[in-house]
Amino acid sequence: MSTPVLEARDVSMVFGGLKALQNVSLKLDEGKVVGLIGPNGAGKTTFFNCLTGLYTPTTGSVLLKGDVLPGDPAKVTTAGVARTFQNIRLFPSMTVLENVMVGRHVRMKQGPLASIFHGPGYQKGERAARERSAELLEFVNLPGIEEELARNLPYGDQRRLEIARALATDPAVLLLDEPTAGMNPQETEATRQLILAIRETGVSVVVIEHDIKFIFSLCDSVSVLVQGQLLVEGSPEVVRRDPRVIEAYLGKPPDEVEAEVQAMVEETRQHGDAAESTTVLPVVTDPKPEGEQA
Amino acid sequence: MSKLANTIKPFARPLAILGGVLLIVAALLPWVTFALNSGKYPDLATLQFFDAPFAVTGFRWHILLLGVLVLIAVFAPIPSKGRVVRSLGWGGLAVALINSIFITTEGGGLGAITAADGNAAFGGIVGIVAGIAVILGGTGIGIELPAKWKVKLSTPLAYLVLVVTFAAVLFAVAQTLTAGGQGGPANPYAGGLFLSFLGFAAGLLTALNGIGLIGWISELSEKHRVFSVVVLLACALLLPFTNAGSEYWMTVAANIGIYAATAIGLNIVVGLAGLLDLGYVAFMGIGAVVAANLSGAAASKVGIDLPFPIAAVIAAIIAGIFGAIVGSPTLRVRGDYLAIVTLAFGEIFTRSAQNNIGGLTNGANAIPGVPPLDLFGKEFNEPLNIGSVELPSGVLYYVLIVLLVAAVMAIFANLKFSRIGRAWIAIREDEDAARAMGIKTGKAKILAFLVGATLAGLAGAVFAHKNGTVSYESFKFLESVTLLAAVILGGMGSIPGAVLGASLLFVLPEKLREFSDYRLMIFGLALVLIMRFRPQGLVPDRHRRAELAGEDVGGVPVDEVHEHDTKGATA
Repeated sequence: MSTPVLEARDVSMVFGGLKALQNVSLKLDEGKVVGLIGPNGAGKTTFFNCLTGLYTPTTGSVLLKGDVLPGDPAKVTTAGVARTFQNIRLFPSMTVLENVMVGRHVRMKQGPLASIFHGPGYQKGERAARERSAELLEFVNLPGIEEELARNLPYGDQRRLEIARALATDPAVLLLDEPTAGMNPQETEATRQLILAIRETGVSVVVIEHDIKFIFSLCDSVSVLVQGQLLVEGSPEVVRRDPRVIEAYLGKPPDEVEAEVQAMVEETRQHGDAAESTTVLPVVTDPKPEGEQA
Repeated sequence: MSKLANTIKPFARPLAILGGVLLIVAALLPWVTFALNSGKYPDLATLQFFDAPFAVTGFRWHILLLGVLVLIAVFAPIPSKGRVVRSLGWGGLAVALINSIFITTEGGGLGAITAADGNAAFGGIVGIVAGIAVILGGTGIGIELPAKWKVKLSTPLAYLVLVVTFAAVLFAVAQTLTAGGQGGPANPYAGGLFLSFLGFAAGLLTALNGIGLIGWISELSEKHRVFSVVVLLACALLLPFTNAGSEYWMTVAANIGIYAATAIGLNIVVGLAGLLDLGYVAFMGIGAVVAANLSGAAASKVGIDLPFPIAAVIAAIIAGIFGAIVGSPTLRVRGDYLAIVTLAFGEIFTRSAQNNIGGLTNGANAIPGVPPLDLFGKEFNEPLNIGSVELPSGVLYYVLIVLLVAAVMAIFANLKFSRIGRAWIAIREDEDAARAMGIKTGKAKILAFLVGATLAGLAGAVFAHKNGTVSYESFKFLESVTLLAAVILGGMGSIPGAVLGASLLFVLPEKLREFSDYRLMIFGLALVLIMRFRPQGLVPDRHRRAELAGEDVGGVPVDEVHEHDTKGATA
């Protein structure tokens, strides 16, 4: 068994008297997609914040490829863990391209002096960052809008821009916090294809999502978090048959869920290798987000 | 507004034409019924106009020109007609209102601009009515976005256009600087005439913007960036050869330049990184004190006399170090709390300088006798002879400061479009997201303070030699606020904005000497109004413009502000 690319060991997070997380462990193998589900307030986003160094866990540790991650978001990102946010947090007044180029920050070597005097190294590094960013925008299917301001994008495009920005940091692990919140079925499907395409590039992914069908048809393994504790973890097949999960979360007879998931899995298989080309979206007409859950 | 526009739509053109004609009529009517106490209101503003009808000058000439332009704009097939007409209307209204208010307050009551002593003088009132009519007419015609020109030029032709444009800018700057003449007891009308000229210039410029000329030229200069920078620099250096080339105006221009350079430095901290700094002028003070002490002035405590470039670099570095020290609490405090930290630092500097703590500032006695700069034995405060042309004293300082401003501008522009510049803007936009992108926000913020403070220190060193005296009084809280106001007024994160803001805020006190009691009130009012009607600043940065202006990028014409200036002055 090789070392998991990302591993959380018995992570607990206590805010005052509130135990937000209790001994949560998670293993993410390279090139896999892990889903994290659970009711509102279960501690999913708190867990993400622990993984990315925004919070320092009260006890427990987070390891990337066997090394303990520092408790500082900037260093965690440099080490190779990138994330998106539940409520989109782009840099609204920067252009689309600049947003992605901010993501390149950690991979650029450009000191203050090079920044002030724009020497030859500056030109080269800047061009490389620009090209890579444009490539990523192409990858998430946002070509040709480099000079738009991020604030002016439709909702679905903002979500994808956030993913492109996270990918620009060349992460080993990408953490997506509710990437399909507020999306219509077509957009959700496009996002699913995008995540599969990201996995193809060798990036491992952790997804928080409320959409059960989305999670079960996408993930290689699923963890269920309830009241700060890990309830179940395992393959989608195992998790969705677990009576506790059904009771605590799904609220539907297992057969019904099974049928819907089978249909989606089938669909994915049909799209097959052409995963990238199927990320083409219809024009987004309804950028209205759902009510925030936080 | 749109309801109003719909109501007046049917009458829009006649209204605009009527307004244009009335503007012309207003220019030809008398404006003042009797000679004012402090002397005749400038030139031909009294009934004497009829003695010499062809010698129309000053604000009457401006009104006449605006009226003719309104008529041309209404009848000619131009793009964004409504916007152009409205801008001209604002210009006319501003000029008429400013002069009327000025005459009323200076000359003793409404009689001066209506009828008194058997004389009638309704020029001002007709002008105001005309201005309003033109504005309404323009609004009724319909306000569209400024036009975009698609004309492409070959390189030589583009160069020619740019040279002509910058020459025009040079002329306009010289005119603006000298408009109204030198303020003071000998010339009590300087302030009013200057504001009136600003109103006229702003109306004209917004009209040119509406027609699309300014957007087109700025695109052109963006395309030929290097050429534009060189020509612009050359134009700035040619200012001494215009009618602004007297000792007084050179001194004023040099002072503006020093504050403009400092404002650009502050713009890095406030405009790019979004860190509110209320004690920024202290860094300039530190630079000035260090330079003064290293200059060999008799009152300096350090008995060494270093050549200016070395002293300036040391001053900049020491100011930069203090910048980093002040910046370090930014690791922990954000927003309002940071503003209070910087405010406290500014006070610490002023108080310790005042009480001579550390023994370097000479306390209330200041450090007098800082020697003027010299180059090849030529002192900078002497007149300069180039061939047979004699340039007034102060020219060399002006040249030095133009180069300083150019260097600071280049640093700012380069930083803005670099890795660290993007990191600063990202921090301003969303600090947590910036950290999640791997930006070490603490380091980046300290660097912003350091760079800003270094530039201020450099400006301070020049300030010390130019003024010859370094006193804590030049670096008080009020100066910090004025600098901050200059940055916000001009447009945060924008270079031309910072220069324009600094120019306005530091030239107005020179012009408004006779209003000295009301000066701060005018500033305050102007800022409140700008923040209300044009939150993105006079020359906004592209990002901020989109953020704050919404759909109508043009916003409210700038002249509205000047017009309110005088209201403030007379309140």
